[in-house]
Amino acid sequence: MMKKKKCGLRMVAYEWRNLNGNFMSHFFGIVFPNLMCLLLSKTIGGQMAEDMRIQINTSIMLSMAMVMPMAIMLLGYGAIYSLEVENGVPLRMRLFGFAESSLMTAKIAAHLLLLTISFVIFGAFQILVTGIRLPAVSSLLCLLACLYLVGIILLVISHSIANICRRFSVTFGIEMSLYFVMMVLTGMMGIKTEQLPKILQAVAATLPMTYIGRDFADFWQGGSYNFMPLIQSFLFFGALAGILLLVSQHMVGREKNDN
Amino acid sequence: MLLGINQLRVKYGDQTALEIDGSICIERGERIGVIGSNGAGKTTLIKALLGLVPYQGKVITELTPRQMAVHMQSNMYVRTMSVRHIMETILNTRIRKDGQLQRLIDFFEFGPCLDKRFAALSGGQKQKFTIILVMMQKAELTFYDEVTSGLDFETRQKLMEKLVEWYRDKESTLVVVSHYYEELEQLADKLLILDQGRVIAYGRKEELFETYCGKAILILDNTPKNRELIRDFKALKSPDHLIALSCADADEEERIISILIRNNVNFKRSDSDIEIMSINAKEAFYAGRENQ
Repeated sequence: MMKKKKCGLRMVAYEWRNLNGNFMSHFFGIVFPNLMCLLLSKTIGGQMAEDMRIQINTSIMLSMAMVMPMAIMLLGYGAIYSLEVENGVPLRMRLFGFAESSLMTAKIAAHLLLLTISFVIFGAFQILVTGIRLPAVSSLLCLLACLYLVGIILLVISHSIANICRRFSVTFGIEMSLYFVMMVLTGMMGIKTEQLPKILQAVAATLPMTYIGRDFADFWQGGSYNFMPLIQSFLFFGALAGILLLVSQHMVGREKNDN
Repeated sequence: MLLGINQLRVKYGDQTALEIDGSICIERGERIGVIGSNGAGKTTLIKALLGLVPYQGKVITELTPRQMAVHMQSNMYVRTMSVRHIMETILNTRIRKDGQLQRLIDFFEFGPCLDKRFAALSGGQKQKFTIILVMMQKAELTFYDEVTSGLDFETRQKLMEKLVEWYRDKESTLVVVSHYYEELEQLADKLLILDQGRVIAYGRKEELFETYCGKAILILDNTPKNRELIRDFKALKSPDHLIALSCADADEEERIISILIRNNVNFKRSDSDIEIMSINAKEAFYAGRENQ
């Protein structure tokens, strides 16, 4: 009898190979943020005194760090998974006994691995090439936890959009738009959140990336921080992803008859 | 009983895709051939049994969809890695450590394809890949939906030979959907004939043949000379270019054959021709409905 297949190392390795077959995650998740940091550091911090330049570089780095989960989990994953959905691959895998939850767990694990590698490369590049202030361990762990959380939520959103739209072109169009809108709203494109119209500021307040990019520089080397708005934004963002996932599950179908 | 279907109805919007009045039973070890033209409801039936589409009515079985294996009409896999990795992931095994899988790969001569990506496989190789995966599921009930569709004649023949050979001494329960009558002649021992979502006939091949065609049929070209020669015998419904004669018993068969031989007419004899049988089953079904 066919056994229910659970997420294991082999499945994670499969998803790891799968995501490495797509160049987009690597370019936008690893090359692009480093390149942007270097470019912005040269243009903005180039004329400043050394101490100020390092301070600016640290702020830029914190803001650009959020590009990694956005590029890997939203854009890169969306590109891979929506193609799979369009070709009926997830259905084929479910017919081979893989539960939706197992497939998703393996995908999350593989993408978190890439995000970790991306973060290590990013950190090393910032310290060795761009030049930033070294963080307190607690602040570094906090940033890493936020990166993972944002990444998981974005992957769930991307997964749900692909399952709802079922077409690569539509899914990728929506996710690319979301990517740029989020970059603008969270200050990654050079416009501070405070400079946006009130309504857009309210939208930006629901995104955890806004707080990470704007506030984390203040306690990068230690100190206190009011985490409540960040936690609230995570709750809102997570709830939104959960609702989208529930809606998309209605469109998947098989598990309801398979006890 | 492995699986029972009772008053099954599947609708896509306002359109009824499948409407099975009465009941159908599939016993353990049976080989069911499902036949019908496009839009007959063959794939819809499989999807309903697998729980992939909502339906009204009852599917009575102790099997869960996970205990059923299926080769769909279209089977796609990721393009980002070799089929070896896909196979090992789906079957949760290592090819070099799995003797049974190795035997199956050798049986289907799939070894040289293992390091290719799915997109680089030929149509026949793609079908073989899914067949191997499906066979390795060792499911209680296996569906093959148009397993040879899109393949050239030679590849189709070879693949069917392999399938027939593999299942020859096994007790697996199969439901095989096909457009090709000769495939079902080889693989199926029972037939389910569908048309426009309705069940035209269901039963053992030989019983259905006898019901709709007689003991045997003789098939010859539809020419004016042949029509004249056989005008006193019972002709069945057949494709326009052919004449199919029903033989109720051995005596009648001998009489017709002697006439055909005397007049130097080429003919083919069959006591299992699914094409002629299904055409006549359809004819009888719709005639019966008109009478009602």
